[in-house]
Amino acid sequence: MKKTILGAAVAVLMSTAAHAENIGVTMALFDDNFLTVLRNGIQDLADGMDGVDVQIEDAQNDVAKQLDQINNFIASGVDAIVVNPVDTSATQAMSAAAEAAGVPLVYVNREPINVDTLPNNQAFVASNEVESGTLQTLEVCRLLKEAGKTEADIYVMMGELSNQAAVQRTKDIHDVMASGNCGVTLNIVDEQTANWSRDEAQDLMTNWLSTGTQFDAVISNNDEMAIGAIQALKANGISMADVIVGGIDATQDALVAMQAGDLDVTVFQDAHGQGSGALDAALKLAKGEDVDQKVYIPFQLVTPQNIDNFLSKN
Amino acid sequence: MAEVSHGIGGLKFDASKRTWPNELNIFAALVLIILVFEALGALLLGQSLLFDSAGRFDSIFNEARLYIIILQVSIVGIIAIGVTQVIILGGIDLSSGSIVGATAMIAMSFAQTELVNGNPNPKAIFGPTLMDLPVIIPIMVGLSCGLFAGLVNGMLIAYTRIPPFIATLGMMVTARGVAKWWSKGQPISFPTQDYAVIGNGLGGWMPVVIFIALAILFQFILKYTVYGKHTYAIGSNEEAARMSGIKVARHKVLVYTIAGSLAAIAALVLSSKNLTAQAGMGIMYELDAIAMAVIGGVSLSGGRGSIIGTVLGALIFGVIISGFTFLRLDAYYQEMVKGGIIVGAVVLDQWRQRPSASRS
Repeated sequence: MKKTILGAAVAVLMSTAAHAENIGVTMALFDDNFLTVLRNGIQDLADGMDGVDVQIEDAQNDVAKQLDQINNFIASGVDAIVVNPVDTSATQAMSAAAEAAGVPLVYVNREPINVDTLPNNQAFVASNEVESGTLQTLEVCRLLKEAGKTEADIYVMMGELSNQAAVQRTKDIHDVMASGNCGVTLNIVDEQTANWSRDEAQDLMTNWLSTGTQFDAVISNNDEMAIGAIQALKANGISMADVIVGGIDATQDALVAMQAGDLDVTVFQDAHGQGSGALDAALKLAKGEDVDQKVYIPFQLVTPQNIDNFLSKN
Repeated sequence: MAEVSHGIGGLKFDASKRTWPNELNIFAALVLIILVFEALGALLLGQSLLFDSAGRFDSIFNEARLYIIILQVSIVGIIAIGVTQVIILGGIDLSSGSIVGATAMIAMSFAQTELVNGNPNPKAIFGPTLMDLPVIIPIMVGLSCGLFAGLVNGMLIAYTRIPPFIATLGMMVTARGVAKWWSKGQPISFPTQDYAVIGNGLGGWMPVVIFIALAILFQFILKYTVYGKHTYAIGSNEEAARMSGIKVARHKVLVYTIAGSLAAIAALVLSSKNLTAQAGMGIMYELDAIAMAVIGGVSLSGGRGSIIGTVLGALIFGVIISGFTFLRLDAYYQEMVKGGIIVGAVVLDQWRQRPSASRS
């Protein structure tokens, strides 16, 4: 019964050309650089289209708040919902709520735990995290080999331990080491978290330096921590030509650090593309069109050689 | 001023009859924690935490580690100086971390440089007319932000009589909102050389120097001035303080305003040290600052504690963080152990303070 009414409603709506699509968006948090670019990707695409209204809410890293926001969107009758999940293991309830109400839902950036059992009108748009850490580590390997090393000692800076991307990117490093594709034998001296934060990374790097252990490279789960490591290394008078530092995200700050010759490797995750891709998928689902359930926006390696292509992207 | 607290079994305990000051207990706890790390280091790694076991320095100490131990707690330590005064007054301040976030964002946007590596600043907030300003402008703007936030806290608490927990909770949420709204979540980066000095000057020692200078200043003020005596008096017994003619409301406003200004100083140092301001900066700093004060012997019921104690509390924090990295303790265990040490240090302090009769 519900479905017939809904079907009729959709038919009526689609026949009226002037109908505005209302899309509800709930972001895990607003005060995050990367997610802000992603959010802008959604907003920019919507602004450039006629008859698309997006309402973007901040879940403030609170799982319960996010589910409430989704239910509020459903209650106010949006045409589709875009969710950037606070906690990827809490998405089952979100999918269920949207499915029960017949509202299409698109997860963006963070892979929901139920990604393989999503209902037909739900999708997932992101980049494949396996690529990021792998691209990063292989480039660090290449640079070490180029410097004539056969064996290298590295430090690993991890993001928040509860975060899937941090876990996966760290695993990528270990996988590259185990796969034999590196060409250089990597030894991890120590592996610690700096919670994605530049300030904590500065302190962590300085703590590592205080042990006096020699090392060749620092591989960081994101750019902010890589920059923190660079600031600490420079403050301790270490030449950036002697240490290879790798990050992920290709933020503006990171690209400037790369131009200055401090950062050697970063990986571009197309936040803007993910945002617009998610909104695009949501609009298609709202119109009843078919969408791949997993849409992957590729990662791209950024080095001093190709940095110019990325300067205006994030 | 003899403080009387009730011991177990109706025994009264006169603090003035204690043989040594409370700060010595905190210092003992610090030494104990260092000894534990030294013992574990010697046992597991054959290295020393504080001493130069590998012969890398000209002194007997591992200078790099002494530096990072104090550097990594300096910024939260500056906040803790303000929080200590608020707690001695009998209040609490939950807003300091958010004030740091908001102040860092606003101050940094007045501290930006126009050209980065010869290119226009990619994070520019204002147009070219407000770029490359003299460093005094972001400093004054930042201090005003903290002063204003603290003033609002103080006025709410003193004149509307809402509990400090609620008033500063409101400020915590509001100021974080301001931090996010200011640049719509975008980070603000690339300050002028002069601004960078606040957090990186003196060969990187500037945050430590600012922290210690402020600690000495406020230790002196709390101990030897009318301001200090009134703060302790209100914290010990607000009614009695009022009866004896202290202008309680006005004094509360003053203390919270000072705490807000100290949070602003921390924000200037933090954003300068990192060469960036981000809306998420300072999250949880208020709790770390409160923990430092409490570990340092500041009583949450007011009227007792000192800046020296808080500085020692901060050092305990620093030793724990560096000690974990030194031991290469698995990142997953660190927070669990840190929580245990915080509680343990306070339990130890409470136990030391009990009258000997109750220790059976």
